[in-house]
Amino acid sequence: MTATAVLLLNTACKKSFLDVQPKGTTLEGNYYQNPDEAYAGLTAAYNPLGWTVVGTYCPKMVVMNLASDDCYAGGGSASDVQGFQDWNDYKLSSATPNLPGDLWSRNFTGIYRSNVMLEKVAGVPGLSDADKARYIAEMKFLRAYYYFDLVRLFGNVPLILKSLSAGEIYTQVQAKPADVYVQIEKDLKEAIPDLPGTVPSTENGRVTKGAGQALMGKVILFQNNTSRMQEAAGYFEQVNSNPNYHLLQNFPDIFRPDNKFNAESIFEIYHTSAAGKGWGNWPNFDGNVGVQMVGPRGYKGPLYESNASGYGFNPITPQLATVLKGDPRWAYTVADIDSMRKAGAATYDTTGYQNTGYFIQKFAPLAQFEGKVGDIPLNWPNDEIEIRLADTYLMESEALVRGGGDAAKAQYYLDQVRQRVGLTSVPATLDNIYKERRLELATEGHRWFDLVRTGQAATVLAFKGFTANKNELLPIPLSELNNTKLVQNPGYN
Amino acid sequence: MRDHAYTCKFVLFILLFMGCCNFMNARSQTGTWLVSYAQVTTPPADPDQARAISSILTEARKTFDVDFIYESKILPDVKLVMDVDRFKHVEDFLTELLRPYNLKYKKVLTRAYVIYANSTELRRLMAIVGHGESIPDEILHVRGTKEAPPIVITGRIMDEKAMPLEGVSIIIKGTGRGTTTDKTGSFRLEVPDARSVLLISLVGYQPREVAVGSQTSFQLALVSQSQSLNDVVVVGYGTQKKSVVTGAISSVKSSDLENMPVYRLEQSLQGRTSGLTIAASSGQPGSSSTVRIRGTTSINNSDPLYVVDGVPIDVGGIDYLNQSDIESIEVLKDAASAAIYGARAASGVILVTTKKGKAGVMRLSYNGYYGTQAPARKLHLLNATQYATLRNESSIAGGGGILFSNPASFGKGTDWQDAIFNNDARMQDHELSLNGGGEKSTYYASFGYFDQTGIVASPISYYKRLTARFNTTHKMKSWLTFGENIGYSHIKAQGLGNTNGEYGGPLSSAINLDPLTPLVITDPAILNDTTNIYHTKPVIKDALGRPYAISNYVGQEETNPLAYIQTQQGYGWSDNIVGDAYFEIEPIKGLKLRSDIGTKLAFYGSEGFTPIYYLNGSSSNPTTSFYRENDKGFIYNWENTASYTHNIGQHNITVLVGASAFKQTSSGVSGTYKNMPVTNLNDASLSYSMANTDKIAGGFDNPDHTVSSVFARLTYNFSEKYLFTGVMRRDGSSRFGSDNKYGYFPSASVGWVASHENFWPVNNAVTFLKIRGSYGVTGNDNIGDFKYLSTVSGGRNYTFGNNSYTIGNSPDAPANPALKWEQTWQANAGFDAVLFNDLTVGFDVYEKKTTGMLLAIQLPGYVGATGQPIGNVADMSNKGVELELGYGRKFGEVHVSVRGNVSYLQNRVTSLGQTKYLTGATLASSALELSRTTPGYAIGSFYGFKTLGIFQTQDEISKYLNKNGQMIQPNAKPGDFKWADITGDGQITNDDRTFIGDPTPNWAFGFTASASWRRFDILVFGQGAAGNQIYQGLRRLDIQMANYTTAALSRWTGPGTSNDFPHLVDGDPNGNFSRPSPFYLSNGSYMRIKTLQIGYSLPQFLTDKAGLQKLRLYVSANNLVTFTKYTGFDPEIGGSSYGIDRGIYPQARSFTVGLNVGL
Repeated sequence: MTATAVLLLNTACKKSFLDVQPKGTTLEGNYYQNPDEAYAGLTAAYNPLGWTVVGTYCPKMVVMNLASDDCYAGGGSASDVQGFQDWNDYKLSSATPNLPGDLWSRNFTGIYRSNVMLEKVAGVPGLSDADKARYIAEMKFLRAYYYFDLVRLFGNVPLILKSLSAGEIYTQVQAKPADVYVQIEKDLKEAIPDLPGTVPSTENGRVTKGAGQALMGKVILFQNNTSRMQEAAGYFEQVNSNPNYHLLQNFPDIFRPDNKFNAESIFEIYHTSAAGKGWGNWPNFDGNVGVQMVGPRGYKGPLYESNASGYGFNPITPQLATVLKGDPRWAYTVADIDSMRKAGAATYDTTGYQNTGYFIQKFAPLAQFEGKVGDIPLNWPNDEIEIRLADTYLMESEALVRGGGDAAKAQYYLDQVRQRVGLTSVPATLDNIYKERRLELATEGHRWFDLVRTGQAATVLAFKGFTANKNELLPIPLSELNNTKLVQNPGYN
Repeated sequence: MRDHAYTCKFVLFILLFMGCCNFMNARSQTGTWLVSYAQVTTPPADPDQARAISSILTEARKTFDVDFIYESKILPDVKLVMDVDRFKHVEDFLTELLRPYNLKYKKVLTRAYVIYANSTELRRLMAIVGHGESIPDEILHVRGTKEAPPIVITGRIMDEKAMPLEGVSIIIKGTGRGTTTDKTGSFRLEVPDARSVLLISLVGYQPREVAVGSQTSFQLALVSQSQSLNDVVVVGYGTQKKSVVTGAISSVKSSDLENMPVYRLEQSLQGRTSGLTIAASSGQPGSSSTVRIRGTTSINNSDPLYVVDGVPIDVGGIDYLNQSDIESIEVLKDAASAAIYGARAASGVILVTTKKGKAGVMRLSYNGYYGTQAPARKLHLLNATQYATLRNESSIAGGGGILFSNPASFGKGTDWQDAIFNNDARMQDHELSLNGGGEKSTYYASFGYFDQTGIVASPISYYKRLTARFNTTHKMKSWLTFGENIGYSHIKAQGLGNTNGEYGGPLSSAINLDPLTPLVITDPAILNDTTNIYHTKPVIKDALGRPYAISNYVGQEETNPLAYIQTQQGYGWSDNIVGDAYFEIEPIKGLKLRSDIGTKLAFYGSEGFTPIYYLNGSSSNPTTSFYRENDKGFIYNWENTASYTHNIGQHNITVLVGASAFKQTSSGVSGTYKNMPVTNLNDASLSYSMANTDKIAGGFDNPDHTVSSVFARLTYNFSEKYLFTGVMRRDGSSRFGSDNKYGYFPSASVGWVASHENFWPVNNAVTFLKIRGSYGVTGNDNIGDFKYLSTVSGGRNYTFGNNSYTIGNSPDAPANPALKWEQTWQANAGFDAVLFNDLTVGFDVYEKKTTGMLLAIQLPGYVGATGQPIGNVADMSNKGVELELGYGRKFGEVHVSVRGNVSYLQNRVTSLGQTKYLTGATLASSALELSRTTPGYAIGSFYGFKTLGIFQTQDEISKYLNKNGQMIQPNAKPGDFKWADITGDGQITNDDRTFIGDPTPNWAFGFTASASWRRFDILVFGQGAAGNQIYQGLRRLDIQMANYTTAALSRWTGPGTSNDFPHLVDGDPNGNFSRPSPFYLSNGSYMRIKTLQIGYSLPQFLTDKAGLQKLRLYVSANNLVTFTKYTGFDPEIGGSSYGIDRGIYPQARSFTVGLNVGL
């Protein structure tokens, strides 16, 4: 009896008695045990790239367009997606629902998943060394990409390079933006050697060396350090001189969903209609919801999708229309729906908020590309091209001019961009390069970043209510300040 | 002085026969120094004066007025001649008498001498005399000089219900002499004289003293002493005498449950103890109740821990228990009592002890009843004419046309409630038990059968239970005991499926269906039209082949209930085997080592057949399917304890240490066969060979739940005056995170029995008073499995190359290795008292705080997690006061017993971490939640708009202005609600909602009053709750054509017609009905006469003839009357929809006749 009591005490004290096996649940501790699981982990780190809905609608291009002078917020009413309207009007506050938070969490989710993979990859049984090196390089690229967005949008962000344990969650502090840039460059520098120069078409969408180099150049360029402009130009040159890349002859072909990963694409975010998602999948859609969002409201007519017609966001501002009209790229950039209406070719709801009659053409919901499975608005296959060759041409041009580099080469790359659309040469001055960027890259989400980094934002965006020394950064979302050591960005308290 | 007659000349302690142990037993059973005496034979009156020494001592006792204490065996068997009177002093006499035999004497009290042979003997006798203050004085003193002839008395002892009591001890006070009653309750005894006093006692009954007087024949009733302080209370891993218990424990004894029509544990507890709030989920036979001990302890799980004969019952529930098998139920309410169950005890512990055999004659008893049930109340719904009238009015007000041109032509229409209610639903219960045993072994065996048909949609609402139990105890050696308790049950039941929900089923349909639609289609015009649904769809038909009518107005889930009944083919079943076996050894006195292994094996499942049917446009089924599920759960609990009891002088110490291991597993499989070529459940079988595409398999594997524990308890009291209990338990649980694998749960309680103090004045007002206080910590490990670990989930996909959609998986959220139990701290103070000998009072006041309740942690976004980890985040508090009263007294031949209890409690959520509120229940009609859980308010408080009456005129609307002079409700019409602008922002938005009520009663109470007169007995048991609101959400607001209750007849129809029921408008533009508001709230207080029972026991001469011990007949009415202002079916609304009436299955009113037979 006493013996059994002692025995039981032993049993009861044995910890293994309390360690029971889960059933039907996958635990992190048991995962990443084979190459397939590692690949699924890698995929999860790419996943936030494709988010066009986070808490609510938040396609990066749409959001960046409405912040700039390319587009208005638009939509159905002055309160349609409050965050869009607040940014359009430069009334963003810490409490603005969703928008600052959505951009914040998209990137931090990507960082978390990259961090997890960076911790796990080394220990995955059966994963070849080559794959491990490539995975690590991809994760570092992605972490750099996500942080680059964060540091540009929010400035003061915590620099988190590992998955946080419970005890570390509330002790994080913001890093200096310069330190974040240092880390981004470090990650990219380490990633570039192990990234593949090209990928087979079956791996389209995975990061290449060119993407790493282009991003590295861009990261340096954005730091506005004249002494490093040559360095930036060097990275761009590696891409621009890469024979795998060349400008497409036909400008609109760049954006066609049936011409993905063309020779001009350097870093492209894949969207598919194959997933056939429905509203029940909210917010995990794999199509580009942004395409639906920028379509004209209540549209009936040719070319554009009519059944589930658009939401009327991102109407083109008169400012952009004015400078773009007459440019060969006008018709490929702007869908002049109002003219179609006036011509009796189509009808649409002209009462959409901030309607100008002009809509985005580069990512317009063209009927021919609508998804055949699932709900149409959620399954647009249009990719978002984050970096394309015309962009790196122009950035190299700019870096060379700003850094006092090879002026002929700067002129060459500017001319190449203009020549493709049949325009004649103009001198490669900063002004001309910036003007070219605006026209070439209009509505592709670059404009606001360009305005801010070049110090033009306060002037150019004054008509929207931009306040200098405040609106260069978004407010830190309110939920990030509760119980944490984070402090709000200047001007938002 | 010496004028008492007596038969016993000397007090003799027959110590050798008794032994010290028996002394101990006697003490522990009764709590007082009760001494047994053998009857002493009268010494012979020897004329030649040669007498036995004992006889001489007897004379001396009178002469000197002293007592002698000795063991009779030491006196030599000689006869002497001795003249006692010649001695002046008793000591001279003793010296003379005893010296020759080498016997000594010693004076021990003022008037007593111990006579002994050696010092061992002296010590033993002295030890007894040491407690002499408890020995009734009279046995130590000589009372009389003359002997009178003994008187022979006879009598019969019965219980409160005039059932004969066997084995009742009848002792002549001061003699130890006595007898016991036989199985007819009769006894015969010689008493010395009319002054003799009889001490009548039986375990479980209040002892009585009766003076003999001139009576020679006695008829006496003993009152069961469930409320008595001498009761033994089960305290978890042991028992304690109630008078020394320091925790807050309520008990229900078997005698409280006898003949009560209860078949679930919750019903046994409802209204019978303080501190419990119990509300039935519904009146569906077999349905469970929501049980809350001292309020809602956690926002997650507040169900108490049930422990049956030491086995914690979890998987499969507790409905396997036959209530007749229950000996006692103890509710451990405060932390000090519950802490011995540590991490599983935060919501209180309910200990159930099943009946054990009693040594003695074999007893067979049968208890059974048979009865009929009917609904106690129906809703008042509109008849066809009223319905058509109001629908017209509503349609016109909403801008539509007249719907029914001649409402009066419809008459009364269909009463759907009549179609589903059964006014004669039968129920029966039979229970046969056998109990008995000898010195070594005792046994209890029982068999029970319970069968209840529901009062709603009877064909698909029933519950049948078969139970068997075998409990035995074997005392193999004086130091070794072995025992086991095994219970088995088989349950088969079918439920409506929807006992309190707005989405269809018989009740919701009966409430919402229009009265215009007939039950069945008899109109030849419709029957002969081959193009309508009755021909084109697989509609359900009645036995005569007539199709059940399908409403043209009310659709969705609301279907013809009679047709619906036919589509519901299936039942649930369970087989439970719960048992434990133990052995206990006592190697040295006071030390008990016990090992107990308990298991519960539960098999449960269901099967059902869904035929092809068409009930209406949205409720149809195109293919047959047969579903079967088999589940299994297994619990084992092994506990080993060692307890040691030691008494040093007046210090009484008991130490208990123990360890236990608990494991629970459960899993199940299910399968569905579609398109089986049969039309009903009886013909369906998994043996049909079906295509694989028609077979669907399912199942589950629950993670194991393990708990390993060590615990210790120290119980100490000084002279039963100063009481202390300390408990420490350490629990490890598989559910705790790695940082907190083990939790420690300490508690301490103290008590002071003031009435035992010397300074306590002798009085009749307060005969017993104990003051108690306790503080302790308990935990709740009912927090789900693996919540502390990081899980990996999918759905994080991306597309690579050529549109190949790639699966992505990642961790959801960081692990929370710190996850632990929810912790509950509780302080309790109270007292137990006996007033005026007849009135027992128990009073408690408590405060308990639950901290670290599990809630998803709102992580900062920079963590990057997709999910939210679970953390110990939220806090809650409960405060309350409880009072239990008991009173029993005999007035002439009428014995009256009244017991009552009342509890008050206040619940407050004190913190939800960063979460502002949790949304509660919703109703089909409203997008807004009906309740919220918010810090500062009671859990699940009703939340909605406040109304300021009804706009009587357009002028009132125009004058309802905000600060800026704008109309607050510009779109309102007269007859609409005037909403309160809570935020003061000048408009009515969803932000204008506030807290409008609380579904949890603040007050719970119950009482039992019983009386017996001769062979008649009567009992009234009532129970109720108060201080809560009920949300009456009966009508489907999303179905415009749904019927109304007759309350709608008093709607607003013009200025001054109503200020609380708005006008009817289709579309409800003002949200009068779709917005949650006090309009839907009613006072939920009620008081219900649960049981009224009248019994008659057959007189003995009749039972004797039949060879029976007892035979009692009774009639009983249950739920006879409910006092409430609530207008719904039933104010008692438990379950997941707590306090929200969506058309609850009401509890039946029943009338039963019952029979108790004892053999």
